[in-house]
Amino acid sequence: MKIQKILVANRGEIALRVLRTAREMGIKVVSIYAEDDKTLPHAMLADESYSLGSGALADTYLNQNKIIDIAKRSGADAIHPGYGFLSENAMFASTVEKAGIIFIGPTPDSITLMGDKSGSKKALEPLNIPMIPGYHGDNQDEAFLADQARKIGFPVLIKASAGGGGKGMRIVNQEEDLLESIRGAKSEGLKSFSNDRVLIEKYIVNPRHIEVQLMSDTHGNHLHFWERECSIQRRYQKIVEETPAPSMSQELREKICQTAVQISSGINYRGAGTVEFILTPKNEFYFLEMNTRLQVEHPVTEMVTGFDLVRFQIMVASGEKLPVKQADIKQKGHAIECRIYAEDPDQNFMPSIGKIEKIGTPTLRDVRLDCGFNDGAEVGVNYDPMLAKLIVWGKDRETSTSKTIQSLDDVLFLGVKTNRDYLKRILAHPAYAQGLTHTHFIPQYEADLKPKALRDDQLADLIAAFSLQGQTRSSATVGVVSHSTPWTTLTGFRN
Amino acid sequence: MEKIFFINGQEVKVVNFSQKDGIVSFDLNGKNYQYSKLDFRDQLLIEGNDHRFGAVISSPKEGEQMVIAGELEAKMSSGKKAKKQSIAGSLNSPMPGKIFKVIKNIGDEVKKGETILILEAMKMEHSIRADKDGIVKKINYSVGELVQGGAVLASVE
Repeated sequence: MKIQKILVANRGEIALRVLRTAREMGIKVVSIYAEDDKTLPHAMLADESYSLGSGALADTYLNQNKIIDIAKRSGADAIHPGYGFLSENAMFASTVEKAGIIFIGPTPDSITLMGDKSGSKKALEPLNIPMIPGYHGDNQDEAFLADQARKIGFPVLIKASAGGGGKGMRIVNQEEDLLESIRGAKSEGLKSFSNDRVLIEKYIVNPRHIEVQLMSDTHGNHLHFWERECSIQRRYQKIVEETPAPSMSQELREKICQTAVQISSGINYRGAGTVEFILTPKNEFYFLEMNTRLQVEHPVTEMVTGFDLVRFQIMVASGEKLPVKQADIKQKGHAIECRIYAEDPDQNFMPSIGKIEKIGTPTLRDVRLDCGFNDGAEVGVNYDPMLAKLIVWGKDRETSTSKTIQSLDDVLFLGVKTNRDYLKRILAHPAYAQGLTHTHFIPQYEADLKPKALRDDQLADLIAAFSLQGQTRSSATVGVVSHSTPWTTLTGFRN
Repeated sequence: MEKIFFINGQEVKVVNFSQKDGIVSFDLNGKNYQYSKLDFRDQLLIEGNDHRFGAVISSPKEGEQMVIAGELEAKMSSGKKAKKQSIAGSLNSPMPGKIFKVIKNIGDEVKKGETILILEAMKMEHSIRADKDGIVKKINYSVGELVQGGAVLASVE
C-alpha cells in the first residue's frame, strides 16, 4: 500500500530527518510536539502539527494513546517512531498495527525478541552466532566455577549476577588469583545484593564497538549496508562514529557483515536494524545486541553508501521490494559523525542549558548538520542534551578527520556550552589518527584530552573580540579574507 | 589604562588599553597587540595579531558572555571581580533540575566528597557532595522539588 501521510512520533533532528525524506517522496508529514517544544523546527515545518500538551514524557512523546489518536484524526496512514521514545516498544508497534496504521519499523515480535537480552542470545544459538564465552549457569560450586574460568581462558570477568556499579566484580588475569576472586565476588554480592550467585565471562581488553547496518524487506531480501565503528564513548554513550571501521581487513569486514545478515535473515527481520558486536584486539568478534530501529549514527552509512535509509524504511513498510542488490552496496570514501551535546566535558560532562542565540552552518562540501534547533531555542532539562549531529564525508579517513575538525569550528552554538572543542581534541589525538580506537579511549587518554591552557596570543584574540563587540567600525573594508573561519554563513537554522 | 578580563575564570590583566573607532590596542605580558574591526557583511571580523578571524558574542548572562573568536570559545567578563562567588560552604545546584534523593540529614557529620543529595537533571543523576569535612547545616529542599540552576541546595560548616 502506498503511504500518503506519515506521523513522526518523535522530536528534534530525527523528526526533521524523516520529514526530509518523506517530502522527497511526495508524502505528507504530521508532526507532534510537547508544549515546551512548540517553537522548535519540527513543530513548525511539517504539513500539520499537533500539540501533545505539557507534562512528563509519559504524557507527551510517550503517550501512545494520544499519538495514535492524532494519527487517526489527521488521517496519517503510517507512523515513524524515529529512535528512542517509542521506537523499540513492542506494545506500541502492535497497537499501531491493530489500529490499522502502518508501523515503519520491525514486527512487534522482533522488537520483543531483541529487547530481551538473554532471550535473544538463546534464540540466536541455532544460528551459530559468536557469543562472548562465559558461564551463566546454576552450578555455583567454587571448584566448578574455577574450572569454567580456566576453560574460558584468562583474563576473565567474575560478576555478581545481581550486581551493578562495579560491585561484586573482579577481573582475573592469572590462575593464582582465581579462587580468591571468586570468593571475593561472591561475598561482595552477598553483602551488597544478598545474593552470592556469580557469572563468568571472558574479559576483553580494549574492545572495539562495531555495528552493522541492516535492512530487510518483506520479500526475503536481507541486505547489509556495511559496518560502523562507534568505539568512542562517554557515559556509555557514543560521541564519535565512523565508517568504514579503521584498521579492519576486508575479509573481517565481510565476515562480520555476513554474520549480521545471518541474524536478520534467521529471525526474518523487517526494516532497518543494527547488530552490535564487540571486536577484540585479536579480531575475534561477539554478538552484543540488536537494535530494532534506525540508529542515531545512520547518516555515516548514508554518506558512504549513497543510499537514503529512511526512504528504504518507508518503502519496506509500504510492502515494496528493496530496489538494490547486495552487490550494488559499496563503501565509497569515509564518513565521521560527531554528536554535539550541550555539556561541559571538562566538568565531568555536566549537561549545560541556556538559550542558543546562533547556530553555525557548515561551509565545506559533503558536510551535513542534522540539527533540531533554531536560533533562539532554549535548551532545557527535559530532554536529551544532544543538540546536533555533524556528519562529514571525505575521500579517505584522513580527509574526513581534518574536514570534521574544520567543520566543528563552523557549527558553533552561541550561548550554550557544548562539547565542540572536546570533539576536536579527540579527532586531533594521534591515537585517533592511527585508528587506535576502543571503548576505553576516553578514560585512557583523559590527560591528553584536557583543555590546553590558552596561549597569550589566543587570550589577546579573545580580548579583542570581546572589546570590539558593538564598536563603531573603522572605515577599512575587507578585500580578501585570508584564513581562519569567518562566519560568512551564520544564517541560522538549516537542516 | 589597566584593564582586567576574566577568561574561563582566569584573571587576565592588560595594560595600556585603548579603544577607539573600532581599533583596540593593549599590552599583555609585555607584548603589544593591536586589532581593528573590519566591515564585512554583517559579521564581526577582526584583523590583528597577524591574522583575521570572525567573532560572535552572546548576550550577557549573569555578567558573563560567551565569546567565539576564530576557533576559540570562552566565557568572558571584564572589570571588577567576576560574578557571584557562592557563599563559602554552600552547595549550589549546577543546573535546573529536580531533587531525586536526599541522603544526609541536617546535623550529620560528613567527610569531603560525601554525597549529601542527588539532583536529577537532563535524565541523569548528579551527586551533590560535601566540599569539605563538617556538619550538614542546611538542606533547603526535599525530594521531588524543582530547583533553579545556582540555587543553594545545602550547606556544610
